[in-house]
Amino acid sequence: MTKQKAVALLLSLMLLAPFGIAAPVCVKDDQGAELCLDHPAKRIATLSPGATELAFAAGAGDKVVAVVNYSDYPEAALKLPLVGNHTRIDLEALLALKPDLVITWRTGNPPAQMEMLRALGLPMFAIEPRTFEGVSKVIEQLSILAGTEKEGFAEAERFRKGIAVIAKQYRDAEPIPVFYQVWQTPLMTINDNHLIGKVIRLCGGVNVFGDMPRLVPRISAEVVLETDPHAIITGSVEGAEDNQLDRWKSYTGMTAVAKNNLFFVPASPISRPTPRLLEASRDICQRLDVARERE
Amino acid sequence: MTRSLLVLGAISLAALILALAIGSVNIAPSELWAVIQGEGSALHRTLLLDLRLPRTLAAFATGGLLAVAGALMQVLLRNPLADPYVLGLSGGAAVGALLAMLTGMGAFVISGSAFAGAMLAMVLVFGLAHGTGSWTASRLLLTGVVVAAGWGAVITLMLAVTPSYKLPGMLYWLMGDVSYARTPWPALVVLIFAIAVILPLARNLNVLARGPMQAAALGVSVRPLEWTIYVLASLLTATAVTTAGSIGFVGLIVPHMLRLVLGNDQRIILPASALAGGTLLVLADTLARTVIAPEQLPVGVITALLGVPTFLYLLHRSR
Repeated sequence: MTKQKAVALLLSLMLLAPFGIAAPVCVKDDQGAELCLDHPAKRIATLSPGATELAFAAGAGDKVVAVVNYSDYPEAALKLPLVGNHTRIDLEALLALKPDLVITWRTGNPPAQMEMLRALGLPMFAIEPRTFEGVSKVIEQLSILAGTEKEGFAEAERFRKGIAVIAKQYRDAEPIPVFYQVWQTPLMTINDNHLIGKVIRLCGGVNVFGDMPRLVPRISAEVVLETDPHAIITGSVEGAEDNQLDRWKSYTGMTAVAKNNLFFVPASPISRPTPRLLEASRDICQRLDVARERE
Repeated sequence: MTRSLLVLGAISLAALILALAIGSVNIAPSELWAVIQGEGSALHRTLLLDLRLPRTLAAFATGGLLAVAGALMQVLLRNPLADPYVLGLSGGAAVGALLAMLTGMGAFVISGSAFAGAMLAMVLVFGLAHGTGSWTASRLLLTGVVVAAGWGAVITLMLAVTPSYKLPGMLYWLMGDVSYARTPWPALVVLIFAIAVILPLARNLNVLARGPMQAAALGVSVRPLEWTIYVLASLLTATAVTTAGSIGFVGLIVPHMLRLVLGNDQRIILPASALAGGTLLVLADTLARTVIAPEQLPVGVITALLGVPTFLYLLHRSR
């Protein structure tokens, strides 16, 4: 091929590009494994509620064809076909929907079923963001895989900026010891490596169990009493007050109880690695401000 | 005798075809036939050949393994309450599998670990029950039950300390799930091998069922026969549990159901158990994956829900 013809071909390809002529997309996940698709995905299956939210955040919501239980945000996701639970997928239903990209939850999806899907040749992308930057990155990566870079990168940047604003606002805030209760029985909390732990730190809180070795430690009430947090926070449906913190009310010697710093935040935004962490962070920061006023 | 086996065989075949046709995506018989001939849509081919066929064959093999193991245990221990897990085999397998899951191993190591755990349990109970003096059925049973309780305690400990995200996987393994079976061939091969080995001995088993003294008096070499049954039943159980986790109920009830209908001749009961156990598990698994689809139920739940009324009906009818 002559040089002129090659240049002409290249120019014409570049002119055609905006028309969405198929071009391969490649993305590396957070463990360095690379996934390449022949063309941006058109039928995406998300195997966790968080992945569903992230796919919508990346601008690929109209390409999602299969979700699992509890994929309840955004509202459009409620109408999507279900393929089981994130711990137990209905493989037949998933295959019947012919996805060309499967977003999996690295530690949450059953390894045996994931191996089976891999053996069947489905393109799979595992996610498990553990930091705010990780959340932004995943949104960008998903938007590349879905060919919706414009919306995805914009959303990722909006999230980054939002977190930066909160970080600046609370950089010099007075530290306040916090206990975050994940579950009542067994009593579970999180350490500083968990996203919830990072939200607490963002707001100037000090997670009393932050340096525990396990990500989600199971502790006893005695240890909580010993560390004497000044605020106790838990997640509930839409942040409404329920009975999850009633057990602490009888320990009137606890600082958090004495100052009535038992707070409820909406459970879903804080428990998922999605852009809703911004609202969740603002909620938690606001509660900690209340606690600081009562110091 | 052969007639009842032929009828059971026909029922098994019908159950297998039903299982292949029904699922989250229903496949009509004509489409089934097309796939067998090598045509048919890509989706149907993948569903059938990569998902449903291995799973159904694994369910059949596991059901057969458990039912034959149960029948053998009931003969060995001369106790109608004996099932394949009574001597702690499923406990040992569970400890092996859960340990592998705890340390983040892949599916192959989990299966291997489960098998090793079951074999360890077999050797442990055999060694402990031996002691000084004779090796009686009741001594074996008592040792086995106590060791099983020990395994149970270890399992509980492991469930208590495992990180939360690993729990669902472990619980589903303990409940039993045929979808774990990557390939049905080991289980099928072991089943056929076991039937081939035990059928010639079935007459002696009939005699043994009357008691070791009478059996010895009638010329049966009791000790070697008992050891053979013990090792064989352990192998069958270990293979079943390695393939699909600990699925309860099949091993205990299927031999009894057959006895109510076909009498107590081991030459019929053993092959019939293989066929009936396989059929029961195939039907239960089909229900488990379709009844509240796309939610998937563990098959052990269905086997009990199906088997209990069936057994009570047969028991009532036989009075």
